[in-house]
Amino acid sequence: MSIALIGLKTLVGGFAVVAFSLIGQAGHPKRFAGLFSAAPSVALASLAMTVVAKGADATLPYAQGMLIGSAGMVAYCLVSLVLINRLHALVGSSLAWLAWLAVAGGLYAAAGR
Amino acid sequence: MDGRQLLDDDLEQVGFHWSKLSKASPPELLIRFVFGGGIALVAAISGSLFGPRFGGLFLAFPAVLPATLTLIEKKEGTTKAWADASGGVLGAIGLAAFAFTALQLLRANPVVALALALLAWLLVSGSLYFLSRETGLFLWQDKLLTKSR
Repeated sequence: MSIALIGLKTLVGGFAVVAFSLIGQAGHPKRFAGLFSAAPSVALASLAMTVVAKGADATLPYAQGMLIGSAGMVAYCLVSLVLINRLHALVGSSLAWLAWLAVAGGLYAAAGR
Repeated sequence: MDGRQLLDDDLEQVGFHWSKLSKASPPELLIRFVFGGGIALVAAISGSLFGPRFGGLFLAFPAVLPATLTLIEKKEGTTKAWADASGGVLGAIGLAAFAFTALQLLRANPVVALALALLAWLLVSGSLYFLSRETGLFLWQDKLLTKSR
């Protein structure tokens, strides 16, 4: 992958995250706004860039990986709910990354490769 | 966790206060840009080094959520941060719908595939939100996950 494509994915990914987070910030009530915290912002930007640069076939494995990663994301959010209640947001939501790692990593090791 | 605040939150009408966007501070937006761009970079580089399927994992990595939840907690309290994460569970299920739809349609028409995948995310996470709100599932979830406190 060229440096230019990696740079473009980074830039567009960053802007997409900001755009979705602004929609979330405007949304209410808070639980509804939370949907946008797990919006496919980076995915949309990154998959679109890959389609443009390399075509649909090269994009498929990224989407397959993302499907596995999204199981990790569900686990992350559930575990973060438990941990935020006990440890507050920064520590709880950071520690919950381990849940993403366990589920996404486990599924990838078991079936994803 | 303030149960009353969560109940009030669930009774509030769904919508958007676009005027709130004028209050978005540049440092907060920069933090989100850096974390969002950072994870896109990790996905691209790891996809190059270890294969695109591995890189794809990071397209559904919660890179920005700790920063978002910490900012919400600071401004509005732990209950609001918890409510946001609670909505995140449904958004994450929608992410799977996004990836599944993209997988099915990318070969046929990539532009339509990504547009419909985004629609699938919106429909699945939005429907789950309204279903949970109307059937009291949120209340059940709140009780289940906070009962040991």
